[in-house]
Amino acid sequence: MDDLLQHFIVEARELTQQATDDLLALERDPDQAASMDSAFRAVHTLKGSVGLFDFAPMGLALHAAEDLLGALKERRVRTDNIVIDTLLECIGQTERWVGAIERMGQLPPDAAEEGYRLARVLREQADDGSSATSQTDPQVDLSWAEELVQSIDPAVVKGSAKHLVAIRYTPRADCFFAGDDPVALLRAVPDLMAVHLFNRDPWPPATEIDPFACNLKIEAISGAGLDAVKAVFRFVPDQVAIHEIAQSSGRSAHVAAANHGEHRGGDAVGGPRMLRVDATRIDRMADLVGEMVVAKNALAHLAGQAKDGMDAKSLSQGLLASQAAIDRLVVEMHRAVMDVRMMPMRDLFRRFPRAVRDIAGQLGKSVDLSIEGEEVEADKAVVEGLFEPLLHVLRNAIDHGAEPEQARLNSGKPSRTRILLRAQREGERVVVDVQDDGRGIDATAVRRVARERALMPEDELARMSDADAVELIFAPGFSTASAVTDLSGRGVGMDAVRSAVEKLGGQASVHTLTGQGTTIRLSLPLTLVMARVMAVRIGGELYGIPLDGVVETAFIPAARVIPVRDAEAFVLRDRTLPLVRLADLLEIPRPLELSQQGLKVVIMAVGDDLVGIAVDGFAERMDVLMRPMSGILAGMPGVMGTTLLGDGSVLMILDIPELIG
Amino acid sequence: MSVRLEGPIIILEGVCRVEDAEPLLRWLQADPGRTVDLSGADHLHASVLQVLMALRPALKGSPRDPFIRDWVVSALADPRLIGMAPQRA
Repeated sequence: MDDLLQHFIVEARELTQQATDDLLALERDPDQAASMDSAFRAVHTLKGSVGLFDFAPMGLALHAAEDLLGALKERRVRTDNIVIDTLLECIGQTERWVGAIERMGQLPPDAAEEGYRLARVLREQADDGSSATSQTDPQVDLSWAEELVQSIDPAVVKGSAKHLVAIRYTPRADCFFAGDDPVALLRAVPDLMAVHLFNRDPWPPATEIDPFACNLKIEAISGAGLDAVKAVFRFVPDQVAIHEIAQSSGRSAHVAAANHGEHRGGDAVGGPRMLRVDATRIDRMADLVGEMVVAKNALAHLAGQAKDGMDAKSLSQGLLASQAAIDRLVVEMHRAVMDVRMMPMRDLFRRFPRAVRDIAGQLGKSVDLSIEGEEVEADKAVVEGLFEPLLHVLRNAIDHGAEPEQARLNSGKPSRTRILLRAQREGERVVVDVQDDGRGIDATAVRRVARERALMPEDELARMSDADAVELIFAPGFSTASAVTDLSGRGVGMDAVRSAVEKLGGQASVHTLTGQGTTIRLSLPLTLVMARVMAVRIGGELYGIPLDGVVETAFIPAARVIPVRDAEAFVLRDRTLPLVRLADLLEIPRPLELSQQGLKVVIMAVGDDLVGIAVDGFAERMDVLMRPMSGILAGMPGVMGTTLLGDGSVLMILDIPELIG
Repeated sequence: MSVRLEGPIIILEGVCRVEDAEPLLRWLQADPGRTVDLSGADHLHASVLQVLMALRPALKGSPRDPFIRDWVVSALADPRLIGMAPQRA
């Protein structure tokens, strides 16, 4: 895919997101000028970029959306939910098209029809509004008209009618193909007093100008009556704004208001762009590179001295000093690079208000979503990997958690279900909670479903605490939906959430109170790339175990190992823990002589239980850059990834829970 | 055809229609130094007008049609249009 298109896809994603945010803000408060300007600008920019490619249907729809937003901005059309819905539909379709373009490099075959349909619907909205709203709405920003009036020779104005008519005509880009000639229309306007011509968008470079795409904006003042002017433009009502203006009244006020608006618009331009890295982080890296160059030069100097016959003691001292300096720099450099990979949750979270609104709308639930901790940062891979699982959790909260409004009122709750999406940093982990104040999860119902689906033996189910039983919602094959809805019935349950989160090195848990709500907690490592591992020895080999699962290490005398049928257990501080020999898991022959004295055991948390893993020896703990298994090794069970050790050998990092299975 | 090239001058005559925009654009792209003579122009289609706005060639002659002369050509001379000229590729 060429660079330009890739750039477009990234930018289009951001712009559609921006437009969505702004539209949702407008839905809450239609009078927010800043959101209106920002939405307009996002759609306008997007339309402009679309024009660089052969995506005509997308351009057509966006152009209509831009015009509708323009009409909203100028208050020719009232901002209501129907209009917002239509615009969101257009933006949603644009997002899907961008997805298709990313996959296939082009729009799907049905895009032409859909584009025309969207454009038509959007234009209908713009037209409806323009005929419905008053032409003398005092809120309209008429500064452009004032400017025009000022350019008229006062002698001309005096002799004419008291009221002037201001016209702002922005012909559609494809109007020539419809047979329109905007200049001919302008000629038909009676009693012209002033004309300004503009280009609607900046002109492309001279060699790329398309003479058949209309890029004009015409502003004019007429001394004829409103009706006479309207009659001229009766076939292009969607492209023209016509206002009657009283002469020299409130001129300064209008101009002031307009300036204010422009200024605010200017601020909004500095929105997010492709580069999302804090400049200070880049500066920090540049500094570090500088220091590395110094360290390298010092080493080169040392090498020169060694060649000239430096004595061994000074040489080793010099080498050690140099190594220490480079060591420190590598650590800092690594940290700096990891910092660049850190991104705030904001980019992820801002996608949810729209999704929640859509889901709630489809399910007929009323939901208020609030978001906290947008500024919490985590590794890019973690943040991006959370979208699907969180979407599913939110969907569940709306579908299963939220009660019907009446039921909520009857139990003394506010009618709208509250859902809180919150990220917090807890040590080296980031914790994301989805908390609803819905009906909670009924442990009895969970047990019943688990029984029906034979998820576990009857007696075990009966013994379980309610809290443990509720955790069964994460079990494969579980779904509490009594009626499978369109949304939840996609064949993915909470087990998909748990496995997606575990793939990111995290855990999912649930906490619920019947009648009061449910909290789903996803706890994830801050970074994926850097893993702290403990190396252990089995036979002659070293293996790595991720340190975040290791609770402690212990030495267990052989006498304390209790055989339990064909398995083993041991007692650690009054708790009986199962003992698993890593050699057995890896199917390596056990060295018998060692186990006479005792066992070296790594105590690990697997799910909620502790397990002892017997190894031949402990080696050092280290920070490693873990590479996930790729290619034909990707499916290898029990191995998370590999890392290169200092001596060039490969350390396999084991996924103990998976090995125990 | 109401547009033709005579040496360094492009002449627009009579009623210029949408199809005149293309040759006008090509000639101006080929040599931006060419002058456009409007004295015989009775109407400029918007497509022709926007080519003049985008490429801003030197203009010559006062059109005989009063609408084109008073409103269109004088608007073309609006100083605010300067600076909106295209970047040269």
